[in-house]
Amino acid sequence: MAGMEQPPDEVLDLLIKELTEGLTPEERLVLVAGAQQANEAYRRDLEHTAAALSVAAASGDPEPLPAPLRERLEREAQAYFASLAATRSVRSVRRGPAGGWWAAAACLLLALFGWIRSPQTVLPPPEPTPALQRAALLARADTLKLPLGATKDPEATGVTGDIVWDSTAQRGYLRLVGMRRNDPTTQQYQMWIFDGDRDTRYPVDGGVFDVPADGRELVIPIHNVIPVHSLKAFAVTVEKAGGVVVSTRDHVVVLGQVT
Amino acid sequence: MKGLAKSAVGRLQWVRFESIQDPGANKLTRRSMSPSVLQRIASGDQSAVRVCIDDYGALVWSIARRLSRTSADAEDAVQEIFLDLWKSAARFDASQGSEKMFIAMIARRRLIDRLRKTSAEPPMAPIEELETIAWSDPGTASQTASEAELATRALHELRPEQREVLELGLLHGLSQSEISVRLGLPLGSVKSLMRRGLIKLREYMNVDAQGVAVRS
Repeated sequence: MAGMEQPPDEVLDLLIKELTEGLTPEERLVLVAGAQQANEAYRRDLEHTAAALSVAAASGDPEPLPAPLRERLEREAQAYFASLAATRSVRSVRRGPAGGWWAAAACLLLALFGWIRSPQTVLPPPEPTPALQRAALLARADTLKLPLGATKDPEATGVTGDIVWDSTAQRGYLRLVGMRRNDPTTQQYQMWIFDGDRDTRYPVDGGVFDVPADGRELVIPIHNVIPVHSLKAFAVTVEKAGGVVVSTRDHVVVLGQVT
Repeated sequence: MKGLAKSAVGRLQWVRFESIQDPGANKLTRRSMSPSVLQRIASGDQSAVRVCIDDYGALVWSIARRLSRTSADAEDAVQEIFLDLWKSAARFDASQGSEKMFIAMIARRRLIDRLRKTSAEPPMAPIEELETIAWSDPGTASQTASEAELATRALHELRPEQREVLELGLLHGLSQSEISVRLGLPLGSVKSLMRRGLIKLREYMNVDAQGVAVRS
């Protein structure tokens, strides 16, 4: 590591930006695309340096953790461990006796792998967000981008977005801006993909999703259960919680069509 | 440069001596015999939660206060960070570094992520409202230095303007554009100062795969 090559200035600038203000999906894509093994090691070094500085700055800071916040942390920890215990008990019932051996072997492999690979305190790189994955897909030559428009439905006023779809990989992302928040206990949004090879009465279900807050940009992976051979159109409807098998199409909020 | 080179010699000895002389390193020695607080949490020992908050609550709170736009933001961030810690406690490996560094890295990642998501909101507090960082005396006893002390010492080796942009960017969470406006410097100069300052810090802090500091 001592002889580690310093990345070019433009990569270094991105690494520093990642440490100070974070990267946009596009910048992260540039970093990932241009990254070599050396850059990743350099990135870890810089992160380690920044963390050491933060620890140093904190050591001269006399302000303790506020008592009410501390109480909240303890309450949340209790809730977290309770939910964890519940999950474990369900899993232990579901898993056969051999399951524990597989889990232990997997943990051992991970531990060994981590031990061999990590010379210092290392966190795995953040998982790519759907926005980043969408950007990566968009960069591929054979990816289709289909603009979406709002219908006349009052729920859809001002909504814009697009679909990015790779037919070969059967993978795609829905991007929406301006959607209204839904109550997931009663209603959910559902994606529909119209395939040129299928009866238009039965579009392919692309999965349900929620909008947690009004207006924000969302990027949602499409989970089509049936292969789509020839994307012709795309729609988003409002359905009951959990989605439906066949939509009545009473409440279509977003539409897009390949022309 | 002279001071840096002299310190680098001390740095070579730092990791070896730390395990004998540094109180923090005594914890390391104890950790090798008994599980660390994060390892206890990972194994489901809920009593370790309080110990973890006792030991690292002030650290996380300090980092969060500086890298958040408001106190309420900082409180929310601290909750998210500790939840991250409970979930990722099993990933901590005492042989790879200190708990404090592991926790600081998790905290910083979460806080930078939050800053990026709120980057469309109004900018951070004006510079005069930023809390002054009380750096401890870098000291001279290099054999007993912790990573944080080493970082403080390295920071004091930088040019004042390099140190200032790194403090504003890395510790107060100001974007490079914000730093440019506040210091009246062209954006390119801010980038260059950060780049060179961080390279210098990194060289100073660099540790090879065996955990022994490298001469620069």
